[in-house]
Amino acid sequence: MPKQQLLDPVEIRKPQMLEIAPIPVNQYNKSIEEEKENFSKNDFVRIFRDMVIIREFETMLNLIKTTGEYLGYPYNHPGPAHLSIGQEASAVGMAYLLDSDDYIFGSHRSHGEILAKGLSSIHKMNDKELMEVMEEYFGGEILRIVQKDFKGDTKSLAQRFLIYGTLAEIFARETGINKGLGGSMHAFFTPFGIYPNNAIVGGSGDISVGAALYKKVNRKPGIVVANIGDASLGCGPVWEGMVFATMDQFHTLWEDDMKGGLPIIFNIMNNQYGMGGQTSGETMGYNIAARVGAALNSDNMHAERVDGYNPLAVIDAYRRKMEIIQQKRGPVFLDVLTYRFSGHSPSDASSYRSKEEVESWQKIDSIVTYGEELMNAELASRTDLNKIKKDAENLVLWATKLSTDDSVSPRMDLVKSNELIGEMMFSNGSVDKMEDRTPEVNHPMEENSRVKQISKKERYAFDADGKPFSALKQYQYRDGLFEAMVDRFYKDPTLIAYGEENRDWGGAFAVYRGLTEALPYHRLFNSPISEGAIIGTAIGYGMCGGRVVPEIMYCDFLGRSGDEVFNQLPKWQAMSGNIIKMPVVVRVSVGSKYGAQHSQDWSSLVAHIPGIKVVFPATPYDAKGLLNAALQGTDPVIFFESQRIYGIGEEFQKGGVPEEYYEIPLGEPDIKREGSDLTILSIGATLYKAREAADILQSKYGISVELIDARTLVPFNYEPVIESVKKTGRILLTSDANERGSYLKDLAQNITELCFDDLDAPPVVVGSRNWIIPAHELEDFYFPQAEWVLDAVHEKIVPLKGHKVTNDFSDEKKIWRAARGI
Amino acid sequence: MATSVILPKQGQSVENCIITEWYKKKGDRVVKGDLLFAYETDKSSFEEESQFEGILLEIFFDEGDEVPVLSEVAVIGEEGEKIEAQKQVEKTGADAPAENSQNTLTENGSVGIETLAETTVVTAAVNGNLKLKISPRARKMAELKGITLDDLPGTGPNGRIIVRDIDAVAEGTIQAAPVAQTLTTGEFEDKPLSNLRKLVAKAMHASLQNSAQLTHHLGADARSILSLRKKVKKQQEAGKAGNITLNDMICFAVIKALKSKPEANVHFIGESIRIFRKVHLGIAVDTDRGLMVPVLRNADDLSLAGLSDQIAQLASACRAGNIAPDLLQPDAATFTVSNLGNYGVEMFTPVINLPQAAILGVNTILERPARMEDGTFGFVPFLGLSLTYDHRALDGGPATVFLAEIKKEIEQFNHEIINQ
Repeated sequence: MPKQQLLDPVEIRKPQMLEIAPIPVNQYNKSIEEEKENFSKNDFVRIFRDMVIIREFETMLNLIKTTGEYLGYPYNHPGPAHLSIGQEASAVGMAYLLDSDDYIFGSHRSHGEILAKGLSSIHKMNDKELMEVMEEYFGGEILRIVQKDFKGDTKSLAQRFLIYGTLAEIFARETGINKGLGGSMHAFFTPFGIYPNNAIVGGSGDISVGAALYKKVNRKPGIVVANIGDASLGCGPVWEGMVFATMDQFHTLWEDDMKGGLPIIFNIMNNQYGMGGQTSGETMGYNIAARVGAALNSDNMHAERVDGYNPLAVIDAYRRKMEIIQQKRGPVFLDVLTYRFSGHSPSDASSYRSKEEVESWQKIDSIVTYGEELMNAELASRTDLNKIKKDAENLVLWATKLSTDDSVSPRMDLVKSNELIGEMMFSNGSVDKMEDRTPEVNHPMEENSRVKQISKKERYAFDADGKPFSALKQYQYRDGLFEAMVDRFYKDPTLIAYGEENRDWGGAFAVYRGLTEALPYHRLFNSPISEGAIIGTAIGYGMCGGRVVPEIMYCDFLGRSGDEVFNQLPKWQAMSGNIIKMPVVVRVSVGSKYGAQHSQDWSSLVAHIPGIKVVFPATPYDAKGLLNAALQGTDPVIFFESQRIYGIGEEFQKGGVPEEYYEIPLGEPDIKREGSDLTILSIGATLYKAREAADILQSKYGISVELIDARTLVPFNYEPVIESVKKTGRILLTSDANERGSYLKDLAQNITELCFDDLDAPPVVVGSRNWIIPAHELEDFYFPQAEWVLDAVHEKIVPLKGHKVTNDFSDEKKIWRAARGI
Repeated sequence: MATSVILPKQGQSVENCIITEWYKKKGDRVVKGDLLFAYETDKSSFEEESQFEGILLEIFFDEGDEVPVLSEVAVIGEEGEKIEAQKQVEKTGADAPAENSQNTLTENGSVGIETLAETTVVTAAVNGNLKLKISPRARKMAELKGITLDDLPGTGPNGRIIVRDIDAVAEGTIQAAPVAQTLTTGEFEDKPLSNLRKLVAKAMHASLQNSAQLTHHLGADARSILSLRKKVKKQQEAGKAGNITLNDMICFAVIKALKSKPEANVHFIGESIRIFRKVHLGIAVDTDRGLMVPVLRNADDLSLAGLSDQIAQLASACRAGNIAPDLLQPDAATFTVSNLGNYGVEMFTPVINLPQAAILGVNTILERPARMEDGTFGFVPFLGLSLTYDHRALDGGPATVFLAEIKKEIEQFNHEIINQ
């Protein structure tokens, strides 16, 4: 408990000088002779071979992109190819010591890393393991292609598998390692420990930390390497990832064998340019990127700059840094200095650098230099090296021809099966636990104070006479969430939860109260105020195979995790060709009372993004059932909650909230009250305003309202709503999201289409105003009120006798407001 | 597995039918060929036989219910079978599973397309007044209940007619047409138009509004066909021939005239004139339900006896109310004959069934003084012929030539024809 860690003013306020330990820069200075104790002759040559294969592979892509042919073989590739010609020594050096238990994450410029890591893993795996991987991957589909007419050994076969699979992926073929859905910037192959590359600069900066967290929490072997560029050091998620990775609590608060740092190396592939921006000299101020390590913790993150033009220097650094990680002293920050000859992309005219500069680096081309050293040390002859080059050329030409042959390597047939990609968007699994072992908990569930307290509560809000129990006696919305969480913590050993104030505070809104006592630190902890990293690390944790519940304290903070929520979380299941699962349930609390930056309902924003499920329960019964279902699933879910109703009891479900486990399937709207004259479909806490309106419509105007709670935005089953509208002929939709672009509009449009002939009035949306959210005292002018619903019914659906409107829902007003953007 | 009984679609334009009688009730055992129920369109009645054997597990519509065609109306299956999954709400066209369907349409695709095309047409017709403010649901209800929308006050937002307005008319709380309110009750009875009346009204009104009609009158010497008629009657009495009526003979003459003067055997379709190679003859038939004009397709292929027989069949089908609706479409016929001679009408101006370009009215036979072959004066029976034609399609000259051709065919009627 941080309570034990006193912040002693006497100590803290003492004058002192902050000492920063020196950071080594290019200190490697060993000769080949000296390295002979570390490498066999074959090892030395293998390093050369791997560099050459990468060079040939990328040269081929460069020629295809710029001249439309490779060795006389024509092909047009319209997609991206961000090449790293010149950086081969860095890639091979990075991957050399890693095996398939070690995971690398990459960037948009990672072909070299994929091949280097793949070749390294192949070298370390035995034939049986390799055959198993190839036979099991997509049912042996790729293997069958590369095996045809091949007589060589298993390792060579695996190399063909790697080269062909990667190239077919780049060329968007269904036979690629991700079915062509990842492509150049997102290719990966998990059986060789190659995790997603990322087309968003710095995208791997926090995801990789989550992978390291997964390894640590679940005691998995291996380390994680985040291959990110020097320019990504300007990205928030990278800094957030590093802050998360260097949290003191790993050393100070985590218990027993969990004590110690994360097994991760931030490997900065420092080619000195971010597209055309010169990082050292123009766009950044660090001078030497390794300096950054000094900002993060008192170990300087063991930062060091190494010569990325010398594979042996990089390997040497890895040997030392992996030792540090073994000692649980991670994370590590490596500044691997290199240079790319090729442009950022084929459209790069190199307007930002001089010819002389490029030539000066080409003069010390790592492949040429290293080859000469091998010859000088008599480790290889020129003939040997030329043969290696020729073999690489043959291999790459073979792969190029095969991967561009439509009869062997077709694209996904969307004509034949138009839903193929659609079917990959979600894995729709139902899994009790992601791994079968005993979950680590501090005491039996029934001994938990919160569990005991809840057991005494009234699980239905009203007594036999229909009178409500006192608020404290009622089983609350937050209790429903707690029960789902605690159940899963005792069921799934991989489940962890974190976010701001998740532990000692019990969650900012007391959902987790009681869990602190039940769980060790490594399963429930406080994160830094880094929403990007909160979601980003969860993505890494989830894609490695763990279940995780990151929390965003206020929906408004979701913007801070924009890239993670919009670009990362929703994409990886489909972009992996369904290899990866993403059991990540993001709890997001929609605020109130605190004004413009603490009260927004952004459910519509996330519902717009394909690939995430979006849930927003409004009752304790639904909160528990839907969270259970979300936690049982294998898909990313954004689980919205509302601070208006954390304390509300179950007012709809007559039997009360069941004590036992149950799931409410995602996607099913629920008729909360039956009616015949008007349907009101609500999202979230607005259900209660809608109910208030329904009561008035019934008592004052004799209009019987059917009240439907959407409960889930994505997926959404329209059928109950259609049924209802067929009956009532009228529908009003309402939620706390501001009206413009609200998900309600999408629902309304679809309902218009689906029920057109049954409608007696257009579906009417009553959302919040397109304003900033004002102070609590003025909130009733911003959020939909029961009176607004009556006004809208009166003006747009069916005039109510004697009703006087207080809000103008007329067409004229609508046009007037729209013209002003409000 | 339980099987659905589907209400068949009788003809392209039929959307709904009324189930008039259930011959079986829920729980009855039925065998193939048992009559299940009777139903009618606005023009015809039909009976549906069971094509399955089993227990009538469920009946979804009662007698008197108006049911969309291709709806599932009942389920036949085995005792105790679950029927939930069978109930499909108003599935039509391509969606209706062929194997469950009792109707004879097997090509799902084409049915779907027909349904689609037809829906468009129907909507356009009902929507006639596109500026009318009415909710889709209210429009549909008004259609089902046969409520006229013109002048109906809307009480919805901005004067939109909404469901409660239709309900009010249906319940009699308000009158659809305000004019009616000024008249004293007891002096009259407001009888809602039958569907057939509505169709006739609409078609005739449209015809007069949308075309350039005028009528030529001409008398034909009827001595020849009258003597033939006598001959036929004798043969009929002797059991040697069917009952070939004067009308049959006139129609026969008309068909021949149409063959030699095809400019009258046409449809006027806006930008072009469609000249038919075959004669599809429309024959006006008076029935209890109102005027019907069934078509005799390929009438030019028939002998006189065949023609007579077919006309008789058509007329009785109309009167019995089980004529196939497709045969009543105005565009099914290429030319129409309307005979009011029986009623003693001496001259009239028949109204064209658009898109046809002409119609022949047949009047009564009048004795007219005429110079006989021997130079004396005597009375000769003349058959009055009134040809209404659409001047857009046909000029006066050709129209007169055509009418004269009919006259010629009647006057020179070949007696041998009855033996053919």
